[in-house]
Amino acid sequence: MSFLADLKFNDEIFPSELIVSLFIMGIIAILSFVVYFKSKKVDPLEKPKGIMLLAEMYVSMMDNLICTNMGKQYRKIGGAVYGFLSMYLFICLIIGLLGVPSPITYLYVPLSLGLTTFLLIHITAAYYNRKNYFQRYVDPVWAFLPINLLSMWAPLLSITLRLFGNAIAGYVVLSLVYWAFDNIRIGLVSLAPAAVIVTPVLHVYFDIVSGFIQTMVYTLLSMALIRNEVPEDLSNQLDKEYETEVSKFNSMLNMEEK
Amino acid sequence: MLLNFLAEAAGIFNEAFASGMAYLGAGLAMIAGIGPAIGEGFVCKAAVEGISRNPEATGTIRSTMILGVALCETTGIYAFLIAILLVFLK
Repeated sequence: MSFLADLKFNDEIFPSELIVSLFIMGIIAILSFVVYFKSKKVDPLEKPKGIMLLAEMYVSMMDNLICTNMGKQYRKIGGAVYGFLSMYLFICLIIGLLGVPSPITYLYVPLSLGLTTFLLIHITAAYYNRKNYFQRYVDPVWAFLPINLLSMWAPLLSITLRLFGNAIAGYVVLSLVYWAFDNIRIGLVSLAPAAVIVTPVLHVYFDIVSGFIQTMVYTLLSMALIRNEVPEDLSNQLDKEYETEVSKFNSMLNMEEK
Repeated sequence: MLLNFLAEAAGIFNEAFASGMAYLGAGLAMIAGIGPAIGEGFVCKAAVEGISRNPEATGTIRSTMILGVALCETTGIYAFLIAILLVFLK
């Protein structure tokens, strides 16, 4: 891209996508500080407005997702982890609208996101099973060990390549379209002004729609994979507790209207 | 005889031969585009049947359908990635 270049320090190269990634983290940090300092001044019994409304909508949506998909015990820590990860991933996939290369086109960034999910799955499994964690590798017979060892890497590979492939596909197709509109001429008249009509449509699909869908897929898939490791009776009990809580809240709302 | 010809051609025109085979491989890789199309058809069929039986739950069914479509799309994206790597990075 024209206004971003890789930095070079003595033989090491700091790629331009990571500068964009630090910029996105800066945006999220500034938004967090603004919401924090405003939340101290706002009266909790009044209706929220402006940025506090957006923050409350986002937090309640993440809370609902976590409690239905992962279980009530992860309410605080899951809200922090997935609240940040989903917002970071969404802004990373949308930043192509500004004309800079998205950090997801640099292979190590989706690999880090996949490693986060991978580590969370195995740490949850080890926490709930202690020593029986190794039973899953020798499940029916001892001879199944190589197959089970290979299948433990499947979620990591699928998450990494799904995010990387979607980002690279959008970036390459849009680069080709811009190059084509630059270099095609009919006689002396160039085709460039028609790019104003064609490229926004492609941007809407490849950046906004694809970004939103991939963020949703990543979040829901990670939550479902972690929920598989929690033992069944604990999971059912916490589901029932959450249902009673939601029904009490709804009945409280209905009574207020009357 | 065809293999002999290909081996001789590989020896003489090494770079053009490799480039040609790369483009051929990219074309063959996109045969995998047939899989996601059929799979997503099945997902949407089930979604439409679900909505027709129970129009109240259309929000839940719609978001589950989008999730299923995106998961089916993964292998198609893998094939597209290999094709792009072959065409632009040889």
